[in-house]
Amino acid sequence: MEYGFTTAAYVVAAVLFILSLGGLKDQESAKRAIWYGVIGMAIAVLATFFGPGSGLWLLSLILIAGGAAIGMVLAKRVQMTQMPELVAAMHSLVGLAAVFVGLNAHIEIGRVAAAFAEAGVAFPQPTYGPLGDAAQAVADGFRGFAEIVAKKTAVEVNILRVELALGIWIGAVTFTGSVIAYGKLAGRVNTAATKLPGGHMLNAGAAALSLLCLFWYLGGGGFFPLLILTVAALFIGYHLIMGIGGADMPVVVSMLNSYSGWAAAAIGFSLGNDLLIVVGALVGSSGAILSYIMCKAMNRNFVSVILGGFGGAGGPQQEVEGEMVAIQADGVADALKEADSVIIVPGYGMAVAQAQQAVSELTTKLRDQGKNVRFAIHPVAGRLPGHMNVLLAEAKVPYDIVLEMDEINEDFKDTDVVIVIGSNDIVNPAANDDPNSPIAGMPVLHVWEANQVFVSKRGSGTGYSGIENPLFFKENTRMFYGDAKESVNSLLQKL
Amino acid sequence: MKFGVITEHQPSEARVALSPASAEQLQKLGHECVIQSGAGAKADFADEVYRDAGVEVLDSAKAVFDAADVVAKVRPPSEEEVEMLREGQTLISFFYPAENEELMKKAAAKGATLIAMDMVPRISRAQKMDALSSMANIAGYRAVIEAANNFGRFLTGQVTAAGKVPPAKILVVGAGVAGLAALGTATSLGAIVRAFDVRPETAEQIESMGAEFLFLDFEDTEGVGEGGYAAPSSPEFREKQLALFREQAPEIDIVITTALIPNREAPELWTEDMVKAMKPGSVIVDLAAEKGGNCKMTVKDEKIVTDNGVTIIGYTDFPSRMAKQSSTLYATNVRHMMADLTPEKDGQIVHDMDDQVIRDSTITHKGEVTWPPPKRENPSPAKPKQEKKKEPTKEEKAAAETAAFRKQTQQQVGLLAVGTVLVLLLGTIAPASFMQHFIVFALSCFVGFQVIWGVAHSLHTPLMAVTNAISSIIILGALAQIGSSSILVTILAALAVFMAGINIFGGFLVTRRMLAMFQKS
Repeated sequence: MEYGFTTAAYVVAAVLFILSLGGLKDQESAKRAIWYGVIGMAIAVLATFFGPGSGLWLLSLILIAGGAAIGMVLAKRVQMTQMPELVAAMHSLVGLAAVFVGLNAHIEIGRVAAAFAEAGVAFPQPTYGPLGDAAQAVADGFRGFAEIVAKKTAVEVNILRVELALGIWIGAVTFTGSVIAYGKLAGRVNTAATKLPGGHMLNAGAAALSLLCLFWYLGGGGFFPLLILTVAALFIGYHLIMGIGGADMPVVVSMLNSYSGWAAAAIGFSLGNDLLIVVGALVGSSGAILSYIMCKAMNRNFVSVILGGFGGAGGPQQEVEGEMVAIQADGVADALKEADSVIIVPGYGMAVAQAQQAVSELTTKLRDQGKNVRFAIHPVAGRLPGHMNVLLAEAKVPYDIVLEMDEINEDFKDTDVVIVIGSNDIVNPAANDDPNSPIAGMPVLHVWEANQVFVSKRGSGTGYSGIENPLFFKENTRMFYGDAKESVNSLLQKL
Repeated sequence: MKFGVITEHQPSEARVALSPASAEQLQKLGHECVIQSGAGAKADFADEVYRDAGVEVLDSAKAVFDAADVVAKVRPPSEEEVEMLREGQTLISFFYPAENEELMKKAAAKGATLIAMDMVPRISRAQKMDALSSMANIAGYRAVIEAANNFGRFLTGQVTAAGKVPPAKILVVGAGVAGLAALGTATSLGAIVRAFDVRPETAEQIESMGAEFLFLDFEDTEGVGEGGYAAPSSPEFREKQLALFREQAPEIDIVITTALIPNREAPELWTEDMVKAMKPGSVIVDLAAEKGGNCKMTVKDEKIVTDNGVTIIGYTDFPSRMAKQSSTLYATNVRHMMADLTPEKDGQIVHDMDDQVIRDSTITHKGEVTWPPPKRENPSPAKPKQEKKKEPTKEEKAAAETAAFRKQTQQQVGLLAVGTVLVLLLGTIAPASFMQHFIVFALSCFVGFQVIWGVAHSLHTPLMAVTNAISSIIILGALAQIGSSSILVTILAALAVFMAGINIFGGFLVTRRMLAMFQKS
């Protein structure tokens, strides 16, 4: 009866999780849906306490409470600009937990096998079905996961080994990958793409080594091959993410998100826990879709992003004609005073300069003057999918004036003034015009169709990707140099 | 440096080269400003207003010339004014060097620098100091107002209790700056406006102003000359053009001609027989009167009425008739020129002859005549003709759609087949207990894909945070292991529980915090 109850609780939890993800379809329902997720998690954890194999309730509760305390402090203190770091850090925890749980599964198999050998009973079970008396006696000595293991046949045990090895492998890649991603996002690791000599061959070698170890492990190699496999996976995670540059981070973070899900699913298989499988699959597909959307928004192949570097350009880039014309705050303010419709295009530079508050004030001021102010968000703006939306929401910019690329791209031609703050490639007309550009074919925001474009930028360089941006040289573009926050603040005084 | 402005010597000229606003901007550039007393009087800028703007008011032109390092005015200088120039002094004004060569040489001999506002090159960077354009804009506007003033009817159509009034029909010839300004003014007054230009690429601009472009079907319409101005056209083309106008003449109420070709007499576009064909009470405004007029019956600087009652206006001083507006714009153009001459904004003039704008507009410098400027590649904004893309026919579209659909079907069926085979293969070797979990896994992936596609893009960050929290479901695995009798297992499981605990609470709380921020306006 107890087990039936646990499974029933898992069904309820699974439904609640699906609802909580589905509720994110709009801002209002999301606020309710989050509670579904919380309740689902509570039900799942409680049910597990009553389920098979659990024990040490007090210790578990203390540990959860300790984790909760840290988690709450983190969640309260984190700046919205640091969200990418936080998400990456949390991925690494999931990855590491998966590695531990996987290792535990291995240890339990060993313990069960040892006990059976001691009792002189065959293990794994020769046939599927109820255990013989002798075997039952040994199995009774175990509880929880080990008890399930004791009842498994040889094929099942082998599958179990594949599953746990897979869980450990994905978990380990997720762990080191996320740690490096965290380091890069937090600025503690050089954000440039760096590879060890040997490049992708090293990754391929490590992957091949892992596969070899898997066969060795299945062939009865014991703990040692599993250890090598883990180390190889840790290396892959490290080296793979080191080779990916700053602007590709949205893809990396969503990919790691996906991996953390798959790791949970693999562990679910090995533990025979359906809820873990369901949730792992949900999270895994969520991350996969996010990565797909990000790649599509950059018109790049997933593989090419993960392997790092831009695809080969087909020839010399088009020469950029004209010159960049600088402008002071007065000029921008005058143009804004005249304008009826304004679109602001924020990018990572806004987050770096912490300018979102100033931008929000500017928005309020302009809206109070009866102007139509909107924001255009490119899917890969920032370092995390949806990063800009959260930053603007934090600064109290109402979400109904923050629009996606597809919703607003048609409107640029009827817009008086566009202000580009800290974004570069996502407003690069070369993506449309120049088939030889490294970003050719990438969907971009058509800001140049507006009457006037002001680009707030620190200097006249080409920025992260090193791609020349013809937008800056257009006749209707004026460069508004300086730190984004100071620039916007100086604008505020003039309005 | 000191920037001075003098009164125009022609009594008919009402403009002035300094406005109080431009004076303030010039002072920001580090220049002191002086002005001759009464210079702005006709443009409604009293001496007092200048004083309030920090400008020193001097008694005579001589005093201004003596005090200032840079002198600005509107019209070309007179002999006496050139006499007053000294070595190293700069004079900014319209100059028309082709017509005033003697005067130019004289200024060069005195060692003065002349900057001719009419020589500012027509490149985008120099638009802000293109005084010809700002004056042409005013002329275009004023031409319509002047025409309306002399036209006995409404421009806009009306239906009143006393009967219906048809809208006036206006034809604008030449869609340069003046022509476009006239178009805009006339359409906003409610008239039916048609326009013609030899440059076919102006059609788009004309139509964007709400006017109708009179299309002339002619091969080889190469109407664009140097600097974006119109070039003289061939006799055959001209004939066709006149035929088009002749057709229009009887129904047109107001004609505004603006056709000018640089350094030439204005082309005759509105012939005597067209004037005769017009209805009595019609009005012609000839903006080319200065250069002989597009209509040969035009009398420069005068308004005449022909025998058949058509009024022909040949004024050449439209900008001066709107002195306050034109002075404001001209002063701004001059101020921009000064800004380019003062790159450091420190009041120090740097006459950079390598700068194209400054080079081209400077006609004498350091004792030498520097006119005409060296030829450059044609900076004309003319766009290359774009070939129209062929619209695919209905059948082609349908065929393409069918092909795409078929391809998609093939792809999908292929994928499904491969997937099915793989799963079946797996089923032959894997035990039933595994396959049961596998069903759950496969279905969950499908549910996941369906659900996640519906998530709003703006909520992707909360999505990641919440998936983070729920992927800590791995805590279940750890909780199931923590009760193990092996110490090592318990320790590892405990660590996993702890980390998952951080994640669950951190993830959900930060998601909640984020979602609470999203507010509707």
